[in-house]
Amino acid sequence: MNKEQHDHKHCLELFEKLSEYLDDELDEVTCKDIEKHIKECVPCFVCLQTLKRTVDLCKQAGNRPVPEDFSKKLREAIQNMPKSPPAR
Amino acid sequence: MTVPRKANRNGIKDKDFELVRAINSGHFDRFEDLVKRYEQKLYNFSLRMCRNAADAEDAVQETFLNVFRYLKGFRYETKFKNWLYRVAASTCLKKRRKSKFAPERELSLDEFFLQDEAEIPDQVPKWALMPLQKLLNDELLDKINEAIFTLPEKYRLVIVLRDIEGFSTAETAQILNLSDANVKVRLHRARLFLRDRLKGYFENE
Repeated sequence: MNKEQHDHKHCLELFEKLSEYLDDELDEVTCKDIEKHIKECVPCFVCLQTLKRTVDLCKQAGNRPVPEDFSKKLREAIQNMPKSPPAR
Repeated sequence: MTVPRKANRNGIKDKDFELVRAINSGHFDRFEDLVKRYEQKLYNFSLRMCRNAADAEDAVQETFLNVFRYLKGFRYETKFKNWLYRVAASTCLKKRRKSKFAPERELSLDEFFLQDEAEIPDQVPKWALMPLQKLLNDELLDKINEAIFTLPEKYRLVIVLRDIEGFSTAETAQILNLSDANVKVRLHRARLFLRDRLKGYFENE
């Protein structure tokens, strides 16, 4: 299916489920439906691939180190807490 | 060799339970181990939610102090980490400030679904095909983090918990007190929003 034949209704139905597909959260029938569709529909295949890459990139977003001054201040604040925490 | 953790009577295996029990039985010095274990994670979670370092530091401190205060009330009915992030998320939400960079708004599927034939791609772009490690660099990581900052808060919370912190749909729903379906809807829209930002970045590169 090329972009001129792009069947918006079916594409939109599957488009809603692409994240669940990537997360392996769909039932087998829906998965097969998506797999069949993306083999035939280039725009949806591109959509799935770019979405997958976005998720992969997001997972690489990384962490900053904790500033030393803050880390020290945090420990001091905890040290100053009463040592018998309330029950609830 | 790793020793398999035994599930508690609620069927939950959690590496933190032993430490939490030790603190709750009076070994307050072990709280430092809890801080060491989660300080960096909570700092980065709070930075992503508060957007500003001073607010993030306040949020982390308040989170740990609240955990210290209320740890005795922890019921071992969920993983400790999930409980911790529930405290952290609610602390960050209290600190929220209005931002012109990420105005609160609903993201609708329609805005991400290309209907204009001229815009519909006919091939997978290079950035989605080349090996991830070849693509990654500091500038791109900055762009990803900037794009996350510009997401409206309710979508940002979900994508940060799911795709960065690695919580499952069910855990995220529990932390944020949402239904699984709601988490899935927000996550999908958040990902589509980021995808559009990345697409824009690569097209203008």
